[in-house]
Amino acid sequence: MITIDHLTKRYGSTLVVDDISFEVEEGTLTVVVGTSGAGKSTLLRMINRLVEPTGGRVLIDGEDTRTIPEDALRHRIGYVIQGYGLFPHRNVADNIATVPRLLRWDRKRIAQRVEELLDLFQLDPAEFAHKFPHELSGGQQQRVGVARALAARPALLLMDEPFGALDAVIRSKAQDDLLAIQRRLGTTIVLVTHDMNEAFHLGDRIAVMDQARLLQYAAPAELLMHPADDFVERLVGTAERPFRLLSLTKVQEVLEAGRAEGEPITASESLHEALSRLLWTGRAALPVADAAGAIIGQVSVGSILRHGRPLP
Amino acid sequence: MVPPRPALSFDHLGIVLAVLIGVALFAAPFATYRATRIASGEARLLIEALPVAMASALVLVALGLAAGAVLVRDPLGRLGSAVIGLAVLLPSLGLSAGFLTPADNSFARVSPSAGFWLLSLSFSLLAVDALARMRLGPFGRLVALAVGVSALALLLFSGIWDDLSIIKEYRTRADSFWREARQHLMLAVGSMALACLIGVPLGIASHRLRTLRTAVLQGLGIVQTIPSIALFGLLIAPLGALAASVPLAAALGIRGIGAAPAFIALLLYALLPIVANTIAGLNQVPAVVADAARGMGMSPWQRLVQVELPLALPVILAGIRIVLVQNLGLATVAALIGGGGFGTFVFQGIGQTAIDLVLLGAIPTVVLSFVASIILDALVDFSKGALA
Repeated sequence: MITIDHLTKRYGSTLVVDDISFEVEEGTLTVVVGTSGAGKSTLLRMINRLVEPTGGRVLIDGEDTRTIPEDALRHRIGYVIQGYGLFPHRNVADNIATVPRLLRWDRKRIAQRVEELLDLFQLDPAEFAHKFPHELSGGQQQRVGVARALAARPALLLMDEPFGALDAVIRSKAQDDLLAIQRRLGTTIVLVTHDMNEAFHLGDRIAVMDQARLLQYAAPAELLMHPADDFVERLVGTAERPFRLLSLTKVQEVLEAGRAEGEPITASESLHEALSRLLWTGRAALPVADAAGAIIGQVSVGSILRHGRPLP
Repeated sequence: MVPPRPALSFDHLGIVLAVLIGVALFAAPFATYRATRIASGEARLLIEALPVAMASALVLVALGLAAGAVLVRDPLGRLGSAVIGLAVLLPSLGLSAGFLTPADNSFARVSPSAGFWLLSLSFSLLAVDALARMRLGPFGRLVALAVGVSALALLLFSGIWDDLSIIKEYRTRADSFWREARQHLMLAVGSMALACLIGVPLGIASHRLRTLRTAVLQGLGIVQTIPSIALFGLLIAPLGALAASVPLAAALGIRGIGAAPAFIALLLYALLPIVANTIAGLNQVPAVVADAARGMGMSPWQRLVQVELPLALPVILAGIRIVLVQNLGLATVAALIGGGGFGTFVFQGIGQTAIDLVLLGAIPTVVLSFVASIILDALVDFSKGALA
């Protein structure tokens, strides 16, 4: 568990981060979102002490980070930034091996770990291990950047706009991959973005920042239904609100009996996806299939619409 | 669509070279004959400088190559013709010296003249141009350099040039030639090495500290504006005083004149390119790379050695290349204050109006600078290749 405790950063007379406190649960993905200049990156960089706080402290599983030597602390925390900062003079395998080498793992263990990570990120080791960063596409560079951050199995991963340099199609694939890997490894992630869609897509919890202050820290649905103030409400986007809410709920949860006609939708898809298919096909209901493809019921427009507004 | 090629197209450089070759063959003297080494020279046209058959052969070959330079586009063909040209021209200079020197006359001297220089310049340009068009990688350029140097060594050791005046000058002072060569290299390479040992750390420190950077760059910039002879002169007084007051310094050979002030002056000139390029190289390390290195827990030393210096290396090497070529040239002036080196022959030759003695000092200096710049250019490319 990460505890951010009254964290403050001041440059001269300018407050960049103003007395922020919140907790991040083990194994969850927390998104820090806000306009540019809100202090998100500074907040993130205070967690691995790239920026020293003016006041307050950060606890990792109850341990004050100030008691850990800077470099040792950073060996334990993965760090991914926009542009990734891959070392141009080192090939993919050597880039990924950076932190294990700093930790003096033996050669064999490093080679094994590199191969494992390349497999995990769907990069064929035979093809990619010896390529240099400039020979990779943007999406491949991004995957190598995340693989490098995860190399020494950190319990915590900090990501600063990790998808900012990707085009829309590759970005949504990279986001899904990150979610899958996070589920699989159980890594705790704190991710900074200015993109509200990304925040709702990825976040278990969302922290909204504006002008150095934390306005609201809540689950995505809570943020939609009970925004703390006008700013959060505007940021969430009034027009987008019902659709965001629908995208947070799975078809599974509104499953009803019946056998509607048409192409079935998988139970793990979101209501947003189901509604868009219903609108497109002009039907009132869709059959629902489980992961194996067996029809287990149906989902109707009426039940979806009931979920598109705050519950009383 | 490939644009239709004209039936006959002329190479622009080839036209210039053909004109040069024509002038060299028929309008310029090929060799200079002197009755003694300091007598005034008598020009000899190509047709007078060699036996008729050989002169005509050389003319035919040169004309053929001139036509080839204009018409042949294929770089390999151009390189081949340049090599043939040099292979005919260079030995024939030695033959000409034997032909022009009267038998049993050890005072007469024969040296190359404008026609020979123009011909060798034309053929060398043709070769260099062909090599450039072949876009050789750094390894290929080193091989080409090795071949060229070996060919030159072969010519020197074969004895075919032994009747040339410059070789006669060399024979009478072979010992001092190699001593001055060692001294020249010691001054140029030694001061460069020391400049690297001082300059790279100074550059790193200046990159980190803005106040130091301003002071260092301005100070070294001022040094750079002092003419070399003036700087040698400026160092005479303090070093003389040092030698007089510190016996150890005198015992180490530090005196107001001689190698010490020359070495120090070369070192001072060498510092600016090395410090400035170290700073520039470190500055161009991408900020995001430096941030990632820090964020992964690399210590300042690890960041410097594993990330920043490797990324700055091509720029630092480019600075070292500038310094080495500059030092090899400047070291010539060291002879003026008794520092030795190839400059010794240059200034002796000027004093005696013996032009061949001047060349004995100047040609090795030029060859050394040329070789050094090719080798260091290749190193720069290798280091860039590692960064890709």
